[in-house]
Amino acid sequence: MNGKNRFGGRLAMVLTFLFLYAPIFVLMVFSFNDSSSRTLWKGFTLDWYGELFQDGIIINSLYTTLLVALLSSLIATVAGTFAAIGFFNMKRRVRTPLMTINNIPMTNADIVTGVSMCLLFVAAFGAWNSFAQQMNEANGTSLPSLAMGFGTLLIAHITFNIPYVILSVMPKLRQMDKNLVEAAQDLGCTWMGAFFKVVLPEIKPGVVNGLLIAFTMSVDDFVISYFTAGPTTSTLAMTIYGMTKKRISPKINAVSTLLFVTVLLLLVIVNLREMQQSRAKKDPRRAARSAASSRRGTILGAGALAAVLLALILLSRQNNSRVVNVCGWGENIDPALIEQFQEETGIRVNYQTAEGNETMYSKVVLGGSGYDVIVPSDYMVSQMRQEGLLAELDFANIPNFSLIDDTYKHLSYDPENLYSVPYTWGTLGIIYNTAMVDEPITSWSALFDPQYAGQVLMINNPRDAIGVGLMYLGYSVNTTDEGEIREAYQLLAEAREQGVYQSFVMDEVYDKMEAGEAAIAVYYAGDFLAMYENNPDLAFVVPQEGSNWFVDAMCVLKDAPHKEAAEEWINFICSTDACLANMDYIWYASPNVQALADYPAYYEELYGEEMDPALYAIMAAPEEVLAGCEAYDALPAETNDLYKELWTVLGIG
Amino acid sequence: MGRELIRLVDCCMSYDGEQVLDHINLYINDREFLTLLGPSGCGKTTTLRIIGGFTTPVAGEVLFDGRRMNDIPPHQRQVNTVFQRYALFPHLNVFENVAFGLRIPKVVEEERGGKTVKRKKKLPEKEIQERVLEMLEVVSLKGFENRRIHELSGGQQQRVAIARALVNRPKVLLLDEPLGALDLRLRKDMQSELKRIQQQMGITFVYVTHDQEEALAMSDTIVVMDQGRIQQIGTPEDIYNEPKNAFVADFIGESNILDGIMHEDYLVEFFNRKFKCLDKGFAPMEPVDVVIRPEDVDIVPVEKGQLRGTVTAVTFKGVHYDTIVDFKGFKWLIQTTDFHPVGEVIGIVLNPDDIHIMHKSQYSGMFGDYSSYSEEYDEMDDVTLLDEEADGEEAEDDEE
Repeated sequence: MNGKNRFGGRLAMVLTFLFLYAPIFVLMVFSFNDSSSRTLWKGFTLDWYGELFQDGIIINSLYTTLLVALLSSLIATVAGTFAAIGFFNMKRRVRTPLMTINNIPMTNADIVTGVSMCLLFVAAFGAWNSFAQQMNEANGTSLPSLAMGFGTLLIAHITFNIPYVILSVMPKLRQMDKNLVEAAQDLGCTWMGAFFKVVLPEIKPGVVNGLLIAFTMSVDDFVISYFTAGPTTSTLAMTIYGMTKKRISPKINAVSTLLFVTVLLLLVIVNLREMQQSRAKKDPRRAARSAASSRRGTILGAGALAAVLLALILLSRQNNSRVVNVCGWGENIDPALIEQFQEETGIRVNYQTAEGNETMYSKVVLGGSGYDVIVPSDYMVSQMRQEGLLAELDFANIPNFSLIDDTYKHLSYDPENLYSVPYTWGTLGIIYNTAMVDEPITSWSALFDPQYAGQVLMINNPRDAIGVGLMYLGYSVNTTDEGEIREAYQLLAEAREQGVYQSFVMDEVYDKMEAGEAAIAVYYAGDFLAMYENNPDLAFVVPQEGSNWFVDAMCVLKDAPHKEAAEEWINFICSTDACLANMDYIWYASPNVQALADYPAYYEELYGEEMDPALYAIMAAPEEVLAGCEAYDALPAETNDLYKELWTVLGIG
Repeated sequence: MGRELIRLVDCCMSYDGEQVLDHINLYINDREFLTLLGPSGCGKTTTLRIIGGFTTPVAGEVLFDGRRMNDIPPHQRQVNTVFQRYALFPHLNVFENVAFGLRIPKVVEEERGGKTVKRKKKLPEKEIQERVLEMLEVVSLKGFENRRIHELSGGQQQRVAIARALVNRPKVLLLDEPLGALDLRLRKDMQSELKRIQQQMGITFVYVTHDQEEALAMSDTIVVMDQGRIQQIGTPEDIYNEPKNAFVADFIGESNILDGIMHEDYLVEFFNRKFKCLDKGFAPMEPVDVVIRPEDVDIVPVEKGQLRGTVTAVTFKGVHYDTIVDFKGFKWLIQTTDFHPVGEVIGIVLNPDDIHIMHKSQYSGMFGDYSSYSEEYDEMDDVTLLDEEADGEEAEDDEE
């Protein structure tokens, strides 16, 4: 009976730990997977770790994350500890409301904290900058202008960390005999002396705990960072989030594994030390020795910490005078190009990633984004151009623009081609698993066909999803006719009612299609190629009714702080070499006609095998396919509202 | 006892407009054992904190050796404190707790090239070692150097606290209810121990307690306080035998306090009967409070008594019986070695030196009637209740 119980208890414990650690274990295993798939195991490799250290974007954001976490947790710990002591010594009447105020930021939604801090910084810096400008003009002073960046990120993290420290130190203060400080003072200590000799040793567990919580919260934070980091800095969380439009790179598995193992090691060391100390307590002689060694350890630790900090600060000082702030999509550029550009020009590239057009747009509109170059899709170019957010480009600075094929110039989103330079292009289409359907799919009708109930992944964005309906019905994807749009919506709603759709997805499409969990999906050609690598049963088709073809184009913001560097960057990216490298990395077709034509040869040279012409045709859709495709235009506001409304009724967005 | 060491002049203290000390005037002599005695909230702890430097009076002066010390912080006063709950440093062992004060560099003035220079000086480790071990011997804790604080009993912690304070060789040791947390037996032991240490070290003790027995047993001088005022200062004998008012008479020992009229010197009337007494210097026919200690009353057969009453309750106390006797509705406590059963009518005799006369005061009529004897008795003897009251006082001081 008893034995049984014990067995049950152990089972429960094992299950609990399994539940807690299984995800991390899976992540660690897949960091060694010889494939970009998150579901299929293709063998052991250390490649992702190697690539990780060559990916400047991830390494930079990791560095930022750790530096911010370290600095903010240290500063917040000092500030929070003294604040807690201050609170503690106040009268209850004052302390209670103050503690409540202290707790508000923790219970407050991160988004509110983030947005409000962003607004504060924007307003304060705006006021300062106009003041500085006036002063500089009037008096010839050289007051610097301020922008959001590492500093604001650090301030934000310190701010949201302090309450956690206070909360963790407070109970230790409460447990402490209140007369201890007075006793120490009575014995000849000044207040500060009493603090270091008596209070600190007493509350140390709380302080260390607060430091660890602060560090974790800081590493953990996405939302507040997102709003306060400015254009020049990205934390790891921001970079990972930027990847959700595309697949999350397995390099992230590798970096997460490294982080997890580091923290685990730290915890093991801390625990071992504690065990050692508690054992030493029982033996006074060993206690003396361990006290001496722990003092030495503390000094060594402090020294090492100081050295690391110094190194980090010195490293962060590598302040090139020229910079360019770029906002792209995650996994949408070969990181080696950034390094190459920096080496060639001496211009530092701050590369940030956004998750989608709308996110990028709202950040720009909120103000203070500080971006120079953005890479919106066609319809967003159009919208931003009409709203006057874009700067006219000086094409004299972009000689490589001549390498771009005329097919991709003067498109409807920028008829006079004053504001944009095409970056990539591609088509929307149907990805299907040939092993799971009876006959090849050729029409959008498959997406509304009850025979595929539960097998279809619909794309989770209103423009593409309703667009599929419009294309199937033979209407223009740019129609403003409410009736036509409602008709397309009706198709979706009915199919949904009939259970055709397994789910509405974005980046999850990779895993599901690669693992054969769904038969049919709507997604982009370039991403199909990445999936095909992991599952050769997959096929891609641009349906007979025609489809959407899209261009992502590089634009410069009107209030860009570094317009010239921005144009230099654009010019560099347009070069044939850069386009080839990019195409190989992201599988999206380049508008550089030379690069597009050369790619099969480039592929052969690089991988030693011929490129499958069918795949090449999918990446770079031939003219006859493109002829049946239509690009998105910016829609008028009321049509946009209709899309939003219908999407809400559908209950997806 | 030596010369004057500390003097408080018109010290006042208030928290949030509530006056907790009202013009305290007090002097303390060298080598004196002085006790601040009073109920919770009387201001005794606040007075001690003013001497220690933890509280600055809102008005008045604190003089050490005639020098004003109001603004001198605690660490610069030649005073050390033993705190109510010892306030030992839990992260240090016994030795390091005691050595704590010695390890702090002291500012010393040195003659150098004809100039006096101030500089910080550390004691040599050898001297620290010697002084700590010596002090641990004084408090009978030899061999405990390496013990952790939480491994010690309450009494041992108490000794560490005393050693930690005394090792700095203060001129004055302040003790804030140091025995409050100990059980009765240990408390008695520590009382004589403290007295011994005080005499051995030859320094001044200022001792705060609410326990009148403790105060009577240990003190050279007792300062009785209530409601932020000093009610009486005197030797234990003075305080007990000649309480100044009804509060002191009631707080120190047991007292029957009656309304009386002083007819002339050495003659007082109460219960419509005149008694001879040893007091003089009152106005003719002045209303007074008459104090009669329970142990001074002699019980005699009814016919021989000056007064006659009926026994209403008897409690056996070991050495004596607490006998409550009803005299025309006013109940007295009489302590007697003879047993008188409830209902017995007895007579009593009062000799002139059994009667003590006091001027009327704000406390008149509040004490000294044993009608509600049993509750009052419980209150006096209930140690835990008193401890809670002590907490209440601390709470008041700290606004907790």
